[in-house]
Amino acid sequence: MMRKNKLDKSKLLALGDRFRIYILFGVIFIFMSLFAPRFFNSYNLTTILRTVSMNATIALGFTIVMICGEMDLSIGRTATFAAVIALTLQKKFGYGISVPIAVLAGAGVGLLNGILVAKIKINSFIVTIGTMTILQGATYTITGGNSVSLSGDKVFAISDFLAKPLLPMLPPRVLLTILFVVVFHLFVSNSQWGRNFYMVGGNRTTAWLAGINTDRITITAFILSSTMAAVAGILFAMESSAATLNMGDNSLMYVVSATIIGGTAMSGGKGGILRSVVAVLSLEMLYTGTILFGFGNEVKIFISGLILALVVLYEAYASYKHEKTIGQRAVLLEELAQAKEKI
Amino acid sequence: MNGIQKVDTRALQTNRFSKLLSSIGIYAIAALFIVLGVVLQSMGIINNFLTTQNMMNIVDAVALLGIVAVGMAFITYSGHYADLSAPTTIALTGIVSVELLRFGFIPAIMGAVVVGLIIGIINGIVIGKFKANPIIWTLAMSYVSMGVIRFVWVNKQIYPDVITDDPFPVMLFDNIYRFRFFNAISLPLIIMLVLVVVGQFILKRTAFGAQLKLTGSAKRTAKFSGINVELMIALAFIISAFTTTIAGLAITSLSRVGAYYNGAGYDFRAVTAIVIGGMTLAGGRGSIIGVLGGTLVIGLMNNIMTLLGVGTFSQDIIRGAIFILVVGINAKTLRSMGRDDA
Amino acid sequence: MSSENLGLALKMVGVGKRYPATIAVDNVDFEVYAGEVHALVGENGAGKTTLMKMLAGSFNDYTGAIFINDKMVKLTSPSIAKSYGIGMIYQELSLAQPISIAENLLVGRLPRKGLFIDRDKMVSESKRLLKTVGLDLDPLLPIEDISQHEAQLVEIAKVLGTNPCILVMDEPTSALSQEEVERLFKIIAKLRNRGMAIVYISHHLPEVFKVADRVTVMRDAKKVATRNIGEVTREEIVHMMVGRSIKELFTKEKREVGQPRLEVKGLSRYGFFHDIDLQLHAGEILGICGLSGAGRSELAQVICGIEKADAGTVLLDGEPLDGLPMAKRVLRGLGYLSEDRKREGLALRLAMDDNILSAVIPKLKQGVVYNKRSGKPKAMQLIEELSIYPPDLDRTAGNLSGGNQQKLLLAKWMAINPKVLILDEPSRGVDVGAKMTIHETIERLAHEGNAILIISSDLPELVRLADRVIIMRKGHFTKIMDQSECSEESLLLAANTEVRV
Repeated sequence: MMRKNKLDKSKLLALGDRFRIYILFGVIFIFMSLFAPRFFNSYNLTTILRTVSMNATIALGFTIVMICGEMDLSIGRTATFAAVIALTLQKKFGYGISVPIAVLAGAGVGLLNGILVAKIKINSFIVTIGTMTILQGATYTITGGNSVSLSGDKVFAISDFLAKPLLPMLPPRVLLTILFVVVFHLFVSNSQWGRNFYMVGGNRTTAWLAGINTDRITITAFILSSTMAAVAGILFAMESSAATLNMGDNSLMYVVSATIIGGTAMSGGKGGILRSVVAVLSLEMLYTGTILFGFGNEVKIFISGLILALVVLYEAYASYKHEKTIGQRAVLLEELAQAKEKI
Repeated sequence: MNGIQKVDTRALQTNRFSKLLSSIGIYAIAALFIVLGVVLQSMGIINNFLTTQNMMNIVDAVALLGIVAVGMAFITYSGHYADLSAPTTIALTGIVSVELLRFGFIPAIMGAVVVGLIIGIINGIVIGKFKANPIIWTLAMSYVSMGVIRFVWVNKQIYPDVITDDPFPVMLFDNIYRFRFFNAISLPLIIMLVLVVVGQFILKRTAFGAQLKLTGSAKRTAKFSGINVELMIALAFIISAFTTTIAGLAITSLSRVGAYYNGAGYDFRAVTAIVIGGMTLAGGRGSIIGVLGGTLVIGLMNNIMTLLGVGTFSQDIIRGAIFILVVGINAKTLRSMGRDDA
Repeated sequence: MSSENLGLALKMVGVGKRYPATIAVDNVDFEVYAGEVHALVGENGAGKTTLMKMLAGSFNDYTGAIFINDKMVKLTSPSIAKSYGIGMIYQELSLAQPISIAENLLVGRLPRKGLFIDRDKMVSESKRLLKTVGLDLDPLLPIEDISQHEAQLVEIAKVLGTNPCILVMDEPTSALSQEEVERLFKIIAKLRNRGMAIVYISHHLPEVFKVADRVTVMRDAKKVATRNIGEVTREEIVHMMVGRSIKELFTKEKREVGQPRLEVKGLSRYGFFHDIDLQLHAGEILGICGLSGAGRSELAQVICGIEKADAGTVLLDGEPLDGLPMAKRVLRGLGYLSEDRKREGLALRLAMDDNILSAVIPKLKQGVVYNKRSGKPKAMQLIEELSIYPPDLDRTAGNLSGGNQQKLLLAKWMAINPKVLILDEPSRGVDVGAKMTIHETIERLAHEGNAILIISSDLPELVRLADRVIIMRKGHFTKIMDQSECSEESLLLAANTEVRV
């Protein structure tokens, strides 16, 4: 009888852990709706959805890289790089040509990252620190160190179109993001390719022995990550008709925190697209909330840094604890508990 | 004697020669850069390379970067790559020292050192004890430091002469960077050279250095040999934070302003200097003398590129490419040396 | 009963595989008929696993020729090997821990419905496969949530699910209970009767006689012989495995046993081992025997201070060691040669002298200066004593052969001038020559009045060296056996018996 109770409890805990990100989302949403001034209205919620679009889009590809057990620190700079290319080339060729080129440039960054990680076998943290620096240099070189902004009726028409709600609360850019989320979710959780990302992250040798081309899977993950970062940056820049040189800098911290909070482990093999997106949304509500409560932007920066640190610390601590119990025998622990009960 | 016959002799060639080459070699590359500068100048492509002023510029820049790199090299040597919180540590310790200048010069220095050590200790505990990934943790730490700076000082830049009316501490602070022995040798250069000598001694001649080498080469083996690896790793991060703090004081003295952007780029430049100086990211290899050579090469390369009219940011592209190239070559050679060596 | 009439399923002619420092398989011919269970035996490191990994496509640089159903094939990747119907059950489980059982079972061939995965079919197919090995688990559980013996059965089911025509099993029974082993043998018999060619790698000779039709013995990367199982005795196989008669191997001399050097009282690390008492005397070699996972290595790690004890005390020469870190215990003469040479024992990237001196760094300190030079004569002396080849202190440890690496590891612990040495699998995966040297050195150390604790899965090793053997099972000492009672059979029986004394 006793044992059964205990089991139910641990099952409940496991269930709670599985759905923790959705619970967190609900808690933040309800708390902010109740207490944050001017939070629960369609204008603010639309703003949140618009703001979250960029990081949600970046999180799609980034989550895949993490599921593969790798890291991509270049996402933020890739977003800026692609945005700057799209806008700079727009002046000469128009979006019709500049956007595909910018997306391809993003994909190229991913290809480079992927090859260096999978074929040359350099640690992905190190590779992407390198590409991060190169991209920063490239971005500044292209722009000469200034922000890029566009003007003209056509350009403004496009930004207006992207930003104006088509359905209640849902402007085309948000709708596009939702479409991406759905496609990526189905792809990652339900297709053979998608499951292969998990297998490679869970145990590279198993995947290789099963005949999965692990190098190709890893490279694909990096390409998807960079491409989605590029797409996110480009859409953001198109909506505002401008690209600043540090527009993507905060995304790294944001997306890394959200992905880990969402339950995608840095060790690989675990996690999911939907969880990351919900986590990004939760963080955005939290940050918007702090602003609505009257705190300045600096508080937001402080909190977001702190959250990343806490999340990384939590994950490290959890695996530190877990490591101590590897190899423990349940039988022996039960014996111990029985012995204690007797006393 | 079966065991003996089975040894494949091809794999047994000693790499003593390549070892020698890698520590001397970096100075040969530095010399090549000097030759390149002289040649370019004689061809009239660049001006003012071989002038006293330019040489002093190179040496001053090398001194600042060298101070950061010598400390960070301990982290690389311990097998934990790099400290990405170096730039914000430079900024934060700089701001704190300027802020505390109102209480005098000594409290300003002490305050900065305390803040730097706190950052080092936190990094050391989280990475040493809880085994957090060093890159992602120091990145998080840099965001936290940046958050503290933004939170406490908002977007203010603070100037020494505004903080206090007393000219004496301000004068002392200004001279951290500007004081020159015999009107030539700057204080940061002396500090860097002292750090290099001390660092080389610690790494190669002390028990701590030997234990750090084992930790960096094979962490679990080190643990199973009775070495307190958690402490070794923590000390590496504390040493790095300490020299970074010294650099923070010098850089803030140079710019005469405490601001959040001081120190930007020092993390990547330092780790690039470290790897081209022959210290592999796999840990346990290389020397501080090599790192000094790497710093020298970075300094000369930057100087020549600037004289050639290459923009600061375009230089990033070249530095990034060189970094990836060197790391890639290291990874390849390490792997080809034996199947057990991933 | 061999069924040669079904024809050759596999023929390997003159195959070889070399690593940078060693030759793992040297010019081996190997044949398996369809409908045959072919046992492959040999000591650790004899090359059995490498030979079979070659068949499974793990290497793209093997030499020689492989024929499957009389067709020459190039097995340069696992997917190619799979396409020829080769399935291999690995010794170290090749399952992805965070992934569900179902996806592990069906890796690379998940059932699809249009673009997407057919989840219902995935679950039902997994249930069917689990049933063949007698498991009734929820296929959606991740592997990390099931026990090790369940995982081993999942691994078997995974490979059976690919319907191989040649099945390789590398030590499939190491984590299984007696009952599960019986079930596995029934499965094997059924598969053989269906005409499958099965290669069965095992250390456990009784199993081999029970299940195999023919047996091939390997030693030092070479094939020794292939025999029909009915025409060979156990002694002959052992003789072929070790290369000399058993008698010669089991000579043993009596030693003087003195005062207790190491005393362990009521030592526990909760969940790993409980209430351990032992006394180890000067001049004594005490063996600990048990299946892997019995808590043997964990016990050693607590005694030497790598992990903390939850209860109990450890005394060295009568002085308590409790609370001391490992470094202090090493200074007092307590050493622990760990089981995993490559990850825990040696720093493969460093030179031999760095490795030998790695546990005595604090001893070689003079003021703040670490004087490595003062340790070199001792290191050189140890290299000569253990005849480590090549005798060059600057050589990188990773470039030595396995046997020399293991001797280097022993030298590292002899360098601390030990009083008590705990040796965890001291001769795992080494050639016969190195094993002899290691055994002789251990006996010499005991002769000199040191106390030795040997943890080993190598039963002949325990029988040869130990004065007493303690049986450890599931975290408890279950039995102490005197030298006179010890034989391979009695130890094995005891390690598998669920009795506590």
